[in-house]
Amino acid sequence: MFNTISDVKTALSAQRYIPSDEIATTVFLAEKLGKPILAEGPAGVGKTELAKVWAAATGRELIRLQCYEGLDETKALYEWEYAKQLLYTQLLRDKLNDLLAGVTTLAEAADRLAAEEDVFFSSRFMLPRPLLKAITSEQPVTLLIDEIDRADAEFEAFLLEVLSDFQVSVPELGTIRARHQPMVLLTSNNTRELSEALKRRCLYLHVDYPTAEQELQIVNLKVPGLPPKLAQQAVELVQRLRGMDLKKHPSVSETIDWARALLELNARHLDRATIETTLNVLLKFEGDLQRARRAMVRDEGDRARRERDEFGRPRRDDEGGRFRGN
Amino acid sequence: MDQRVVDFIHALRAKGVRISLAESIDAMRCVEIAGVADKQFFRSALRASLVKEPRDLPTFDELFPRFFGLDAPPPLQQPGGGMSPEEREQLAQMLQQMLASLTPEQLRRLFEMMMTGKGMSGSQMRQFIDENTTATQMTTGFQPWATRRALRELQFDRLEQLLQELIEKLREAGVGEAALRQLEQEARENRAALAQQIGNEVGNGLQQREAEERRRRPAEDLQDRPFEELTYRDDDEMRAVINRLAAQLRTRVALRQKRASKGALDAKSTIRANLRYSGVPLDIRHRRKHLKPRITVICDVSGSMRAVTGFMLMLVYALQDQISRTRPFVYYRTIADVQADFQQLRPEDAIRVVPERVQGGPWQTSLGACLATFTRDYLDAVDRRTTVIFLGDGDDHLSPPNPRAFETIKRRAHRVVWFNPEPPYRWGREDNHMHIYAPMCDAVHHVSNLRQLVAAVDGLFS
Repeated sequence: MFNTISDVKTALSAQRYIPSDEIATTVFLAEKLGKPILAEGPAGVGKTELAKVWAAATGRELIRLQCYEGLDETKALYEWEYAKQLLYTQLLRDKLNDLLAGVTTLAEAADRLAAEEDVFFSSRFMLPRPLLKAITSEQPVTLLIDEIDRADAEFEAFLLEVLSDFQVSVPELGTIRARHQPMVLLTSNNTRELSEALKRRCLYLHVDYPTAEQELQIVNLKVPGLPPKLAQQAVELVQRLRGMDLKKHPSVSETIDWARALLELNARHLDRATIETTLNVLLKFEGDLQRARRAMVRDEGDRARRERDEFGRPRRDDEGGRFRGN
Repeated sequence: MDQRVVDFIHALRAKGVRISLAESIDAMRCVEIAGVADKQFFRSALRASLVKEPRDLPTFDELFPRFFGLDAPPPLQQPGGGMSPEEREQLAQMLQQMLASLTPEQLRRLFEMMMTGKGMSGSQMRQFIDENTTATQMTTGFQPWATRRALRELQFDRLEQLLQELIEKLREAGVGEAALRQLEQEARENRAALAQQIGNEVGNGLQQREAEERRRRPAEDLQDRPFEELTYRDDDEMRAVINRLAAQLRTRVALRQKRASKGALDAKSTIRANLRYSGVPLDIRHRRKHLKPRITVICDVSGSMRAVTGFMLMLVYALQDQISRTRPFVYYRTIADVQADFQQLRPEDAIRVVPERVQGGPWQTSLGACLATFTRDYLDAVDRRTTVIFLGDGDDHLSPPNPRAFETIKRRAHRVVWFNPEPPYRWGREDNHMHIYAPMCDAVHHVSNLRQLVAAVDGLFS
């Protein structure tokens, strides 16, 4: 599929995703080695998005398994379709006389019924869930196992078999092997320590918040209409917010949302009023909002004082002050 | 290159990064696939296959340049590039003669490496250094010093003298001046590379020793370290540990509830669920028991207790989704309701300010009086569904014990549990009244470290 790492970069960029060298290398290695990737990092830095663009870039179908507390095999792997089986039983009851016609001994009757029984536990009555779907798919697929840290430890252990051998055991049917080895991406927000065994089987990718430069690229790519200067200012502000002690730092997706909001509002530059009204797109906790506002007011005070010191008199001009109202 | 990667993996392990054999094999394959031409890709390939914990990333970043960057010692070259074959033959002979009579042994080997360009791998060099120098007890901060000492013990400075001797002999044998100068130059470059390699390996040795020592220290696991030994430095780490523990507890509680679905049969839900099977009860539903305790925590914030109290409250607040209501109180000489602080501030910040809500100084704990105040003013915080947790050592310096007030609380509460960091043999000594309160509690837990605290909190949900 990919011959060099730069191929990966080009392909992902074509899907409007800006991969760092780390990401491109890891995806390339995963393709070559057939190993799953474990992507860890704060929420909203594009881990799930990576799976989507990876699937799109390689033309594979994306199968997603969202993990949560209490997720078990019946939800992730397969389930028997009881209702269908029940209907089938009734059908069988009607056909029972035909089936058992000419049978003289009990053993013979039991044998015939047993032959029918196998039909019950066949793939006909099986309801495939994401994992089984990914393994039995006719076409190669990309499997996204999202937020694995939310699932219980026992589910993680169950995943090991799937991830190392790409096969699953269904007691009634035996072992099902993958036709094509799916490309697997696991994401984790690191709320819980994952097991060593799982980590050992994966290539590890630590995705962090992008640098200002990368983030600006992302904003320009995702929100094309935004004036360059405004985009620059917006990214600077977001980067500064990330440096502050907040309960939840703004993620990349929130930066994009905010940039869209600014575009919708037809904002020309980031003045105080605009920030006041749109800051809640970036920050989701009241405490964080207040803290950020206080910091900005303080900043403004500092700047005014500095300017006064420099020039010996208070100065108010339009240029320079990012958070200054005008 | 393979050898270099292996050495790198050893160094990472020495620094405490856990790398399994499978992972080192992966690393080799990754390097093969990614190639070594582009340094950035090469680096990412190693990183993706070797480092699986965010906390190990700085270690990787620190060590990588040392092995593969500009800091890495250049490979040794074979001296004598500008010589004719006969001259080279002469060089080899003279070298043999000199080496044969050269002592001590380690100097002979160094000189040989310098003059033939056949070096050692990192691990061999380490062994060589270990065998020929006295063991150092220094930390990594003293690496330059330790390196100088190792070089001195290896008599590294005598190499120059030996080189001059050799050149002198070659000159007498009639080797051209230009070739000799080139030889000298190349030999000196080799010597510099050797010095650098020795320096690196000395550093790696120091790191390994540190890592081993760290492993040997038994109470390194924060969970098992007694509360009073935890310092402020550990705070960030502790917060992460507590969040992890809370997540663990949450999963455990969720699982326990799932498994305990053998409650009473829920007839209505069963009928509803089985309508689609024409009323045949295939899918039996049980009534789920939701355990969401209401908790009132009454914490001692005297100096000795502050750390435990902090961790306890942090843990309780990290478990907010498992607890239907929490009311925190703190006491010292007086008692205060600090719920408002927890509503307005983040738990970490709240814990810092709550001790200011109550009065008290050294030897001024007044548990009995505080219990009286509590029964007078705050009894609404206790009802028949509330689990009351006392967190304190049971010391009381100013007032007599107050079993009556305690009895009042107990009569109203669902359960009264006491978490005490003091060992039981100290209960009832001097000003301690624990022996009076303990028999009245439904459960008393001795909590002197995080692991015990978590086990005790876990008990609240069963």
